[in-house]
Amino acid sequence: MATRVITIIGFAVLILALFVLEYLGRRPDTRIPTLGEWLGYVMRPRAGRLLVLLGWLWLGWHYFSR
Amino acid sequence: MAADNAPRRPRRPAGKRAPWARVRHPVPKALILAALACYSWIAAGTEPFTRNALLVVLAPGLVLAVIAYGRPPERIPPPERMDVAGFSYWAICIVALFEWEASAFRDNALWWHPSLTDLIDPMLGTHPVKAMAILIWLLSGWALVRR
Repeated sequence: MATRVITIIGFAVLILALFVLEYLGRRPDTRIPTLGEWLGYVMRPRAGRLLVLLGWLWLGWHYFSR
Repeated sequence: MAADNAPRRPRRPAGKRAPWARVRHPVPKALILAALACYSWIAAGTEPFTRNALLVVLAPGLVLAVIAYGRPPERIPPPERMDVAGFSYWAICIVALFEWEASAFRDNALWWHPSLTDLIDPMLGTHPVKAMAILIWLLSGWALVRR
């Protein structure tokens, strides 16, 4: 199998895993937090909030400005 | 991060709507969404690596920064504690994603080891898809401000 295909499958599996975690986090009585919950937790301190918002801005610049 | 024995998250009582499902002023919200869609459509038309392309990203960032620190909206309360084991699943996946991306750069053979950006960029080549991606990015920014 070409290395390129393996790389793409790797990305697909990891991104799919993130969606699975989000699904599992929304099930009742789970210990896994949803994306919104752990981001909210990280954003409690002002520095965390600033870093996450800067990350969001970087994503926009990286994909839409370049 | 809190202890591993953090209590499990209580679920919403049956029949109670989620905070994001409460629509107090549906018309203004629809108008705002329409305005954001128009903005996304216009922003998707900018040429990459130009001043305009930079401005269409910086402008929403500036607006959100002003809202976040000047007039913050009603925020969704963050959890008091976080289950370390539960969060570790997220951490493992995100670190693995970064590692996979880094390995693509390390090999410096973008055809054989494309980075995530190399794979996503062609998808953003069409105007409607890019506009939709920008709209999702704008809405996610708003969701972050509410956290």
